[in-house]
Order: sequence, then C-alpha cells, then structure tokens
Amino acid sequence: MDAAFLSFSTLLHLVFKRNLTLIICFISVSFRVLCKFFAHGACLKGENCEFSHDWNAPPNNICTFYQKGNCAYGSRCRYDHVKVSQLLQTPGSGSSATSHPRSVSGSAAVPRSGVYTTDSILGEHFVSMSSPAWSEKPLSHDSIDDGGTRESRSVDPFDRPLCSFAAAGSCPRGENCPHIHGDLCATCGKQCLHPFRLHEREEHRKTCEKKQTHLESLKQSQEIECSVCLERVLAKPTAAERKFGILSECDHPFCVSCIRNWRNSSPASGMDVNSTLRACPICRKLSYFIVPSVIWYFSNKEKEELVDNYKAKLRSIDCKHFDFGNGTCPFGTSCFYKHAYRDGRLEEVVLRHLGGEDGETVIAKEIRLSEFLSNMHLR
Amino acid sequence: MMDFARVQKELHDCNKGVDESGISIKPKGEDGNFTLLLGTLPGPIGTPYEGGVFNIDIILPEGYPFEPPKMKFATKVWHPNISSQSGAICLDILKDQWSPALTLKTALLSVQALLSTPEPDDPQDAVVAQQYLRDYPTFEGTARYWTSAFARPSSLGIEDKVQKLVEMGFPEGAVRSTLEAVGGDENMALEKLCSG
Repeated sequence: MDAAFLSFSTLLHLVFKRNLTLIICFISVSFRVLCKFFAHGACLKGENCEFSHDWNAPPNNICTFYQKGNCAYGSRCRYDHVKVSQLLQTPGSGSSATSHPRSVSGSAAVPRSGVYTTDSILGEHFVSMSSPAWSEKPLSHDSIDDGGTRESRSVDPFDRPLCSFAAAGSCPRGENCPHIHGDLCATCGKQCLHPFRLHEREEHRKTCEKKQTHLESLKQSQEIECSVCLERVLAKPTAAERKFGILSECDHPFCVSCIRNWRNSSPASGMDVNSTLRACPICRKLSYFIVPSVIWYFSNKEKEELVDNYKAKLRSIDCKHFDFGNGTCPFGTSCFYKHAYRDGRLEEVVLRHLGGEDGETVIAKEIRLSEFLSNMHLR
Repeated sequence: MMDFARVQKELHDCNKGVDESGISIKPKGEDGNFTLLLGTLPGPIGTPYEGGVFNIDIILPEGYPFEPPKMKFATKVWHPNISSQSGAICLDILKDQWSPALTLKTALLSVQALLSTPEPDDPQDAVVAQQYLRDYPTFEGTARYWTSAFARPSSLGIEDKVQKLVEMGFPEGAVRSTLEAVGGDENMALEKLCSG
C-alpha cells in the first residue's frame, strides 16, 4: 500500500459564525471503500464517484461522532463505535510498509476502514473533550482488527445494530455481515426483531400489529356500500368523497357527502329536522353529530377511538363563531371547537340550573335583567 | 342535482328481482331520461286487489334521493288512502317520513303493503273511507269490481287491443296513438278516448 493511494485528498474547514466552532472533517478518499450512498441505492455520482461501487469493498461504518466523543445515539447508533486510540495504535500489528496508521492484519489486503485520523489533528481536537464516549464502555482492541468479523466476537451483541438489508428482505453479505440479522417478525414477515434488545422488539411488535390491523380494516372498509348512493364509499372518484360519515348513535355506514346532504336538506319539504333529517336513514335513530373518517370501524372500541380523535382535533381549532370572545357561538358549551380568548385564556361558562315547575332541572340560557325590566309596568 | 347513477342502479336491481316481487319499473321517456318512470305492482293476495296489476306514475324530483319521489296511481283503484279520482297516495314515507335509504322498489313495496292494510282513519278519499267503515261488504265488492275492471292484466296483444277499440267505434289512428301514449293499457286508452 503506497502513500499516494492512502493520501488525504480532502480537508474541509467549516467555520460557523454563530458558535465559532471549528469543525474539521477528515475524509480519506479511497476507491476501496464502499460508497455509503451506493449502499443505500442513492449515489448520484455514478461512475464518477470517488468511493467504491463494488459490493465486495468494505464499508465504512465508523461513527465520527463517537470518535469526537459525543454520539447522541449511544448504543442505538447504527454506526460502529470504534475508539480513535485503537485506530492510532493499530499500525504495529499491520504491515509496517505503510505510512498510514491504520492497516489490516491478517488475510485482508485492503484497508477496511475509510476514516483515518492523524495525531496532529486529534491532539488539538481532543484536548477540549472532558469525557470521551468510549471511556464509559471500553472496547477491546481486537474488535477492529478484522473487518469481516470485527465486533462480532467481543462487542456485546446488545450494541450491534440491526442489518437494514436483512430487515428489508435479503442481505448481500449473508453470514459475513457485521450487523445482526434480526429475528423474523410474524406480523410483517421481515427480519427486524433485534434478538437482544427486548424493549425494541416489543415496540416493533406493537407498531407492526397496529399497522396490520389498520391495513386489514382498510381492506374490509373497501367493501362497504353507502345506503344512499348505493356505491362503495372508498371507490368514489374524488378523494374528498372517499370518506365515511360515522353517525354517533348507530352503526350504519354512509359516505360523508351523502349523510351531510341528507342532514342539510331543507326542512321546508315537510320533513321534521329532529325526527327525520337528523335520524339515521336506515334505523331512524337520532344522532347529534357525524364524524368523517377514511376508515370504517369493526368494534365499538375502534369507533370510540375515531370519535375521540376527531373531537380532539376539532378542540385544537379556534371556533369561528366564538371568534376569540368577539362573537357568540350558537353551540355554546356543546361546541366541539376551541373557545379561547386572544390571550389564550379558555372561555369559562357556569351553567345555571333552574328547577322547573314540573320538578325537572333546566339549564337557563342567558337571562338578562333588562328582559324583566322591559316586562314591568310602572304605575 | 339528481343522482342518475343511483336511479339506474335501482332500476337494474328492481327489474332483476321482478320474478320474485312482481314489481317492475320502466322509464317512460326516451333513453337517459329518468325523471318520469312507470312502476307496476301486483295486487296483494288475499285482498280485494288480488289478481290486479296496478300502474304507478313516478316523478323523480331534482333532489332525489334526498327528496321523496312523487307517486300516484295511474290505474284506478278503490281504496281509502288512494284518491279514486286522481290516484294520489296518502303514505307517510312518500311525504315527511321519507328517507334516502329507501328506494323506488321499497317505496312501491310500501304502496303494495298499503293496499293490504288500509288506514280509513287517515283517509285520502273520504267517500271510500266512509264506505269502508260503515259498509265493509259493499266496499269490498266495489274494490274487487274496480280491480277486475281497471287493473286486469291484459293478455291481449297490441293488435287485439287496437281491434277491440276500433270495434267500439274509435278511428284506428287515434286508437294506436292513444294506446302508445298510455303504455298499452286498453282501459286507460278507452278512458282517454272517451274523454278527449
């Protein structure tokens, strides 16, 4: 390995005006290191890329943040946490002909890592660090010696990241993959369960099951017909029409446009608002509101969830009738929208309960003294 | 705006089940015009209307299905809730109890049910209702007679009907055009020829 091949070709100095932090990035350019972008199938440089587009080339998976002493991801980082000191100490074990600090012992003839550092840069950089990340969890030296199997033996399997290729279907590196190939998830059928991180496993299983039930109900929702237009709701031409209108009190499906149309029919046609127009067209049960939803429900729990989500969403929107206290909302305390003043204070309404003549309690609407006074006859 | 897709679907579904229910609906006008329809329903068995086939004029309003269809009997019928003069039907679901989940077929089924269960306390035709309440046998006789006279399903072909009416003394041209206008019903054609 000659020096020319391993020479540093790029040195970037970025000075941020705000915090005046000097970030020095050293990138070793090597044709032998696998291109990160290529590995994700997204390298735009193609043939002109200075990194290798050959799957056999070793990848650079070393976390630069860890080397600087502060990787926010800690054990969850998908890059390898390798000490700089290890990189610096390794030349002794490698072929001594190279001037480069990092070289490979054993069978591999090419350098396995793309990140190289020099003493001068590091010396200046590391003085400021109070506690380097690796000081908390020391790694053994041989963990970086052999690219193919490095880490696998000595690193706690808990710290090894999941292989994203295996999770997506198949990993081209197979057995030699430095990452962990997850266990098969029964729900999504992908290798994405980390064998050692139980918390992560549980989390994945939960989200996966949630996704699955959502997909299934969406599938079942496809078949549901609106009883007014006699068409399948989710087969309507425009996206705005492909919504169910869920009645609060019964479980008959309609498209939101049909049921709104019906509820908005003019009572002038002789039909009573409460007994006919606000009733379900099928069972005639009175519902006070409808909830638009892109998905139909198959249990009461799901319905409750849909209704609660809808109400929560409306509660975050300011009521245009209330108009920050300038107007009056005809829906009063029953309004689903937010009644807040400009200063963020919520409207407080104290309902006045009056005992009616028949013993029933009624809620008094705004009563004004002027109304009594205007009815008084002064003699 | 009327939902033509729904009307088309309704007609298709109704005419598919015609063998079972006996109820059929046809558009009166030319192709693509669904505002004027003609419904046909058999008289319910076990009533004075048994054996009759009744035609019902249907006018679909612009707001259908959010407004009820306008229906009236084209065939004369003797029933407390149906006008013996105009054929107007007194049925709540065709007025304030309409629901967009109802269809033309279910509405016609309700009309058929009305034939078997008259409501003389809420009459459309007071004379018929009075007769129904005071002298039921006479009512039944009249209803039966009207059924056989006006609602008899004609087994005659169009040529036989023309011949029959021509024999009565009407000019053939007028007979043919009138028969066509009323949809081939010889009784209605006769009535029309007599009045006009």
